[in-house]
Amino acid sequence: MAKMRLPTLCFKDFFEILTSELISVTGGLLAGTMLAFATNQIELVPGLLILLPGFLEMRGNISGTLSARLGSGLWIGVLKPQLRRSRILRGNVIADIFLALIVSLMLGLVAYFASAWVFGIDNPALIYISLIAGVLSNIIEIPATVLTTFWLFRHGHDPDNIMGPYVTTIGDIISIVALLAAIVIVM
Amino acid sequence: MDNTSQRRLPHAIRRKLQRTPRKKWHPIIHHVRKRYRISRRTIFYLKEYGPKSHIAHLIIKESVYILILASIMSSMGGIGLQSIQTSIITILPLLVMLPALTDMIGDFGTIVSSRFATMLYLGQVGRKNWWHSRYMHKLFGIVVGVALIAAIYLGTVATWIAVARGFAVDAVLFMKIIEIAIAATVMLIGLMFFLSVVGGFYIFSKKEDPNNFLIPITTSVADLGSLIVFSTLVTLLF
Repeated sequence: MAKMRLPTLCFKDFFEILTSELISVTGGLLAGTMLAFATNQIELVPGLLILLPGFLEMRGNISGTLSARLGSGLWIGVLKPQLRRSRILRGNVIADIFLALIVSLMLGLVAYFASAWVFGIDNPALIYISLIAGVLSNIIEIPATVLTTFWLFRHGHDPDNIMGPYVTTIGDIISIVALLAAIVIVM
Repeated sequence: MDNTSQRRLPHAIRRKLQRTPRKKWHPIIHHVRKRYRISRRTIFYLKEYGPKSHIAHLIIKESVYILILASIMSSMGGIGLQSIQTSIITILPLLVMLPALTDMIGDFGTIVSSRFATMLYLGQVGRKNWWHSRYMHKLFGIVVGVALIAAIYLGTVATWIAVARGFAVDAVLFMKIIEIAIAATVMLIGLMFFLSVVGGFYIFSKKEDPNNFLIPITTSVADLGSLIVFSTLVTLLF
């Protein structure tokens, strides 16, 4: 590595970043395509676009930190990559469930008040949609994050290198599916 | 004495360590760290999530404020989106590329800030002549190159998906979509570099780890900025 010339390193970095970015963009486009198929639902819920960016970001933030904490625990050796009773794993999962509920409620409230004050839209359904979508996306994403982190570690990979883009890409898709399901339930 | 038994803490020291308040760096901790060759980060993790910690409570307490702040910032960007709802829903490629665009700019924020922090640690950039550093030139060239390719790919595929969905696209509209993708990406990458350089030097001068501050700052600004720039460009072009 030390003997490699700067131009060689440039190309290596360029292709590494380009590859991961194109994969991440493709995942984002998949999430966008789902949105494109649901324009009727978006129009059905006034103020939904206020909720959307925060909701997409929430899953990446919560599951990304979950995976990072589990990764550190795995490397240090205080956590085993198995779904056995473990104080650290249980604590992390409980914390993430509560965090997702708190942040979903907060997002719903902010979207509700912002749509009421800025656009004059009084739509309390935004709060219910946010909460239900938060619960639905948690049911899928928390087990997916834990299992993938453990699987990667068991197979000799560093979860920190892979889980960041994985969580944001998968999180976008799951969040949009959960939001659309919540709209169907509430409306 | 083999490596494993050397690392096992004697009962008396373990009791002393457990009695130490979680948030205090008692001298015994430094002794244990050096004597048993345990890294600072391992000790930190063990203290943070040790037997006396309520893990869930601790994580919620430490994370909830920053998550709420991030939610509020994203919702502010969402207000911008809501104001252009008609354009977004009627011009389908814009809706398709929205999640990917915000993700992509957030990713570049993470890359630029983490790379700049590493450069600071390795002494590859100095405060006075940072722009003359060849490592900085390399990072800028790579990020801008990848960003341009990714933005063109994003705009093209989003338009193609919209066409497949039955949306009519002419050459002018296609060029506008590409312009929005490129302009938003390039503007925000400029902002990411500015924030990383200014914030990185400041935090480094305060003897703190720039990684802990720069990444959350740049990703939050990237998320909010991408929505604001996107909304502004859509308002101007459509």
